[in-house]
Amino acid sequence: MTKLSLRNISKRFGDTRVIDDFSAEVDSGEFLVLLGASGSGKSTLLRIIAGLTDASSGDVIFDNLRVNRQSPRERDVAFVFQSYALYPHLTVRDNIAFPLALDKFKGWHHIPGISMVARRVFGAGKDISERVAKVSAMLDLDEYAARKPGGLSGGQRQRVALARALIRNPSMFLLDEPLSNLDAKLRAELRGEIVRLHRLTGKTFIYVTHDQVEAMTMATQIVILHNGEVQQHATPQEIYAKPANTYVARFIGSPPMNLMNATVEDGFPTLGNLRLPAPDGIRLQGGTVTAGLRPEHLTVSADTGGRGLPGTVRRIEDLGADTLIGVQPDPALNLNMWELNQDELIWIRQEGQTRLFAGDACTIELEAQFASYFNSRTGMNLASSEQTSGAGVLPLRG
Amino acid sequence: MSLRTSISPPAVAQNQIQDAPSRHHMWQRISPYVYIGPAVIYLIIFMIIPVVQGVQLSFTKTPLVRPDGGTGVGLENYSRLLSSPQFYNSLGATILYTAATVIFAVAIGGGAALLLNQAFKGRTIVRAIITLPWAVPTVATALIFSWIFNRSDGVLNEVVGVLGVGQQGWLVDPKFGMAAVVLTSVWKVMPLVMLVVLASLQSIPSELYEATRMDGAGALETFKAVTWPHIAPTVRVVTLLMTIWSIRRFEIIYLLTGGGPVDSTNTLVVNVYRQAFSNQELGRAAAIGALGLVLSLLVTVVYFMLERRNAAKEA
Repeated sequence: MTKLSLRNISKRFGDTRVIDDFSAEVDSGEFLVLLGASGSGKSTLLRIIAGLTDASSGDVIFDNLRVNRQSPRERDVAFVFQSYALYPHLTVRDNIAFPLALDKFKGWHHIPGISMVARRVFGAGKDISERVAKVSAMLDLDEYAARKPGGLSGGQRQRVALARALIRNPSMFLLDEPLSNLDAKLRAELRGEIVRLHRLTGKTFIYVTHDQVEAMTMATQIVILHNGEVQQHATPQEIYAKPANTYVARFIGSPPMNLMNATVEDGFPTLGNLRLPAPDGIRLQGGTVTAGLRPEHLTVSADTGGRGLPGTVRRIEDLGADTLIGVQPDPALNLNMWELNQDELIWIRQEGQTRLFAGDACTIELEAQFASYFNSRTGMNLASSEQTSGAGVLPLRG
Repeated sequence: MSLRTSISPPAVAQNQIQDAPSRHHMWQRISPYVYIGPAVIYLIIFMIIPVVQGVQLSFTKTPLVRPDGGTGVGLENYSRLLSSPQFYNSLGATILYTAATVIFAVAIGGGAALLLNQAFKGRTIVRAIITLPWAVPTVATALIFSWIFNRSDGVLNEVVGVLGVGQQGWLVDPKFGMAAVVLTSVWKVMPLVMLVVLASLQSIPSELYEATRMDGAGALETFKAVTWPHIAPTVRVVTLLMTIWSIRRFEIIYLLTGGGPVDSTNTLVVNVYRQAFSNQELGRAAAIGALGLVLSLLVTVVYFMLERRNAAKEA
């Protein structure tokens, strides 16, 4: 059981700043996902925890020990690579046993001839073969034991890599996009497998991915990174319901949260002639605020006279169980769609099928109680604690 | 039944369907022969015919001055060769020269590649300098080394003179002749080994090295688990090439020692030349050449047998 603390970690490669003053506490047994687009610094951070890369500054602390100077092996962590990194000339069985056999190898065992005998003896040794058998069974690898990695599919290879990590019984598992090279079906399957291993071992898992589905389904905690800076560190539910800023709002969810430019009138955010409830505990004064609503908190109807935002249906994507409807809002509403969303459409998720067609005039209705509000200049969520420090008064634009 | 009928094609008997004419298909069928044609013609004219003629020549007694005027002597050239100690001496010199050159070139070149695969300042410059001997023309190499080894004013004797050892006749003393030739050859061919092995080293995924770091493997374990299995096929091929080239090498040996001192570097190829142009016996030279060819083929066959065994082990 290891509690991980990262204190003020920074990493520069030459003039490029990859990670900027990153701090986080990860409780023992947590499943932390580091989520970010490529180049966000998430893999570098994982490598710093593993000891494969040195931080430019900052401390990596396991329980109460600073491990900055320790080698990866001394840190007693296991690392699973995106490309599996199996030893191609060793069989599945020997790949899994490799870390254990290494522990037994002494310098003189390397003398040619002796090394072969030593490997046989250690490999056949009761403790190693029992543990290999146990781990292989756990990951359904029994029947492939004698094969070499070249003869395995991607999913099987990654299972072997997981087995190699498991067998050492490390204090922490570090996984660097382990499922990225697999097809969708295998990915879903192995996702379940990894979650099962996490429950089974009770160890701390740190998992790097750019895939929000993996993050949402596996994590107990998510850290969202962007340009080497933490955007939000929270549970998956919190990140989905209360994104800390517009970046997170747009990064999580598919389609992401719809962001709209609301004018503040009498202290209330207003979209067109629609008055939204004021955010809790915040007094708004004039100017604009960015309102965010998830696609499932919007409905659309062909009724053009209704209370809502008028628009025109542009796209319909039928996913079977539900339908995504892309509506272009009336330009007169001045919602600033393109600048906020890099998309000119408001996306609505509706159960089942729709009767609307592209080109139909329609009205969007809002479940406004689910709206999030962001500072339209900084993009920060008005409800998050950092932003309320300004005496509850929003620094306004315009 | 009704579903099946509705999607089946209109009833056309199988034998009525014909291939549509296709120039593309035609070209696909003949293009391989068009592409390899020139190479085949080249090989026939410049390799196969000379080899056949050479073998024919080896069954004749042909003086150099009248290459067309040979008289058939059957296997006499071969029987004389196989019963002459000079031939076995030549064969021994070839094997010794080849073994020494290949072992040192592969060991030093491979070692240099491992060192140069590490990141350090000035790596590119060091790499360029080490590669230089490969770029130097062979004749120039031989001339440079004949000056270095020169008895009266060579650099090597200057150096050993400082060390208090007397002047040595590096190229004229039978003790040193072979060593001098091997040293020169290794200097010349080692860079190629280095370049090839280095290229192979650089194709090893860095994650494998990181995996061994995570597993706590030391330098030796990492070499055995990751580096060697990756470069072994390359090392095997480069060893094969080095071996065949060494068996065939002529210029360096002939220009440095001319096969001497006391025939100590009289390899088969040098021997062929001397038989043909000094002794003016084309037939006998051709016989030596034919036996040399057999030696090269033997090496190649052994190599492919080993490769096949390795492939079988991999599967």
